[in-house]
Amino acid sequence: MDRRTVLKGLGGAGGLALTGRLFAPAIAQNAAARTLRFVPQANLANFDPIWGTQYVVRNAAALVWDTPYGIDASLQPQRQMVESEEVTDDGLTWTFRLRPGLKFHDGEPVLSKDVVASLVRWSVRDPMGLMIKAIQQELTAVDDKTFKWVLKQPYPKLLYALAKNNSPCAFVMPERIAQTDPFKQIADYVGSGPMKFVKGEWVPGAKAVFEKFAGYVPRQEKPSWLSGGKQIMVDRVEWVVMPDPATAAAALQNGEIDWWENPIADLVPVLKKNRNISVDIGDPLGNIGSFRMNHLYPPFNDVKARRAVLMALSQEDYMRAVVGDDTSLWKPLPGYFTPDTPLYTEEGGQILKGKRDFDAARKLLAESGYSGQPVTCLVAQDQPVTKAQGDVTADLLKRLGMNVDFVAIDWGTVGSRRAQKTPPGQGGWQMFHTWHAGADCINPAPYTAIRANGDKAWFGWPNSPDVEKEVTAWFEAKNLDEEKAAVGRLNKAALENVVYAPTGFFLSYTAWRKNIAGVTKGPLPFFWGVSKTV
Amino acid sequence: MLSYILRRVLATLPVMAIVALFVFSLLYIAPGDPAVVIAGDQASPGDVERIRQSLGLDQPFLVQFGTWLGHILRGDLGTSIFTGLPVAAMIAQRIEPTLSLMAITLVLTILVAVPLGVVAAWKAGSLLDRAIMAFAVFGFSLPVFVVGYVLAYVFALELEWLPVQGYTPLARGVWPWLENLILPSIALGCVYIALIARITRAAMLEVLTQDYIRTARAKGLGQGDILFVHALKNAAVPIVTVIGIGIALLIGGAVVTESVFAIPGLGRLTVDAILRRDYPVIQGIVLLFSFVYVLVNLTIDVAYTLIDPRIRY
Repeated sequence: MDRRTVLKGLGGAGGLALTGRLFAPAIAQNAAARTLRFVPQANLANFDPIWGTQYVVRNAAALVWDTPYGIDASLQPQRQMVESEEVTDDGLTWTFRLRPGLKFHDGEPVLSKDVVASLVRWSVRDPMGLMIKAIQQELTAVDDKTFKWVLKQPYPKLLYALAKNNSPCAFVMPERIAQTDPFKQIADYVGSGPMKFVKGEWVPGAKAVFEKFAGYVPRQEKPSWLSGGKQIMVDRVEWVVMPDPATAAAALQNGEIDWWENPIADLVPVLKKNRNISVDIGDPLGNIGSFRMNHLYPPFNDVKARRAVLMALSQEDYMRAVVGDDTSLWKPLPGYFTPDTPLYTEEGGQILKGKRDFDAARKLLAESGYSGQPVTCLVAQDQPVTKAQGDVTADLLKRLGMNVDFVAIDWGTVGSRRAQKTPPGQGGWQMFHTWHAGADCINPAPYTAIRANGDKAWFGWPNSPDVEKEVTAWFEAKNLDEEKAAVGRLNKAALENVVYAPTGFFLSYTAWRKNIAGVTKGPLPFFWGVSKTV
Repeated sequence: MLSYILRRVLATLPVMAIVALFVFSLLYIAPGDPAVVIAGDQASPGDVERIRQSLGLDQPFLVQFGTWLGHILRGDLGTSIFTGLPVAAMIAQRIEPTLSLMAITLVLTILVAVPLGVVAAWKAGSLLDRAIMAFAVFGFSLPVFVVGYVLAYVFALELEWLPVQGYTPLARGVWPWLENLILPSIALGCVYIALIARITRAAMLEVLTQDYIRTARAKGLGQGDILFVHALKNAAVPIVTVIGIGIALLIGGAVVTESVFAIPGLGRLTVDAILRRDYPVIQGIVLLFSFVYVLVNLTIDVAYTLIDPRIRY
């Protein structure tokens, strides 16, 4: 027994005597064994996964709401709330049947009208949902357990859209909640998933609590990412928001928390030395670092200037700045798609490989007509990834002979300023830094950043019909070979046009105490199958 | 006295109104857009615009200010853009940890700093005085987060005496509440202990040279009576003033301390709200803090009359 235990005993007895709860220590101990304390990547500031599409909201929502289909570890859609589906030979009419036993947290059965209303709300906000909506003839509830989706033209990726883990996911809510305007936040959190959200204990910025939903009927299959049997092994999951990584590391070592989603690389060596802690790669799909150039204004409205930057940039410099010297955490990425996934390709990636050629890059830059005008480079200082990348970029541009206007701001300001289409001298910009979750870069469906449809494209507004042609080809592909071919051509076209500059692929760790079992790798923390012993 | 207090309370109203206008204007012109944060990275500009409209952020300045002011006059601080929760409820959720931290820090500061300052003045020029003043310089120079990390490492990680982080409400027991606050209070209190110890020493040094102290000694009064009954009371006005300023400064210090020790208080709520541009929350907290500042100043002014009967309003 250490001194803290003694103090706790003594002080606890005094305190409990004051509050009249003498038996609380034993209860607290049992409750501790049934409660999983988890430090998420960010603060759960809102809890509507359709209205707000931040990853942390999606991660929490996956506990509370189930989806019609769920993506598995092999990136394939699997039935989740759906028991069976039928599609007509022309690929236009899909009929889905819900599995029995589905219940909402208020005890009401999940009916097809709830699913239909949820899909209607989702399809307004989701890029794939919008595509389906554009070709939709009708989406209707046939009876309580059956719903039908009739399209005007085939959409081979329909099941993937209903299963994907990219935000927003097709979460199923009760009809009365799902009828909320998708641009307004819901205030009722009755879910269809394995855990209930405890609204009364929610302290935004500090804590979110989820309790096991006894009425949830898991599937019989083994769980795999968002699919399979979502068996919850603890009574309660508490999300404890910790803004300071050093505090989270200390709390994990001290046993005050059980699982820390994303420890920063600098603190991982300390955690690895602790015999009570396990550390492993959290999300095998990792992240892709990037900076985007504004295709609307000089010098980056000329593809030669964009290619000059690409020719000179060293992904190793970027990755070492982002994750440090742990070489197992990063790899070069001569392309745009997530490594070790079926569609990964290096087609057209020569420009990012081999020795960096500054002389050729400077020559190409001069050919673009660049003559020393300032390049406004937005760098968020409150995000370690963007700050590290921004510092490397500033050095790179200077070595290329460019005049860098380094704008050090916070991420909130980058968020609004990058949307400005005005010229750089009038509030606009020429370059900003970000990164993309690898899960969003496994194929073109959720990959907004690779689109090059001009005004409708992501910030920087690249315009390349070649890129868009291959995106369409992927959506229309009927098998994996066709998909691979389309993505290969897409990767090449995007690099030739320099839709954006990929700065490398990097991974991050997750850490948990050894009395926790069942932590699996994935693009989000999965709590099903995770158990705890005292 | 009562009319003075009433006048001072009434005077807070224009102060608060000016603060409200200033804060609202500042936030209006500040860069950043909460709709962008809500919509997420995948959202189209159209989505962002729809969210902005639904939140009323596309309205002209005067319309937004008028709407907000109308709510304030009805006692409604508004609703958080992000959480959808009333700002008053969010503040209520967070006020106990911050008040607890400030109260414990203040008590600790006064209990440690005042005796230290008195002893340093009593033993002026001695080794003890120099040691206390060296400690004061040290405490004053160390950033709160450094002290916090060191304390957490030693007392939580190595010795396992106290928890690293978190907050337990007082309703769950005195010790559980206190054990979460000991390290943060020491970390936050260091700088104030140093400040108040120095001020106490300076005030006491001046008082200890007065004739009545010599008289007290000549009468054969004990050292403790001389220092803590006769001298300290007469040195109290500047000390109370600095303690008052310290309370105001504690609110600022609480931001860092609450982050380091993961205490869900108003400091963290403020930082989170600023980073996300959650305007109603920022405005609500600033109004609250302004009110607290005014109230603290009033309390200090009233306290003068209790310490020094010559002061009358």
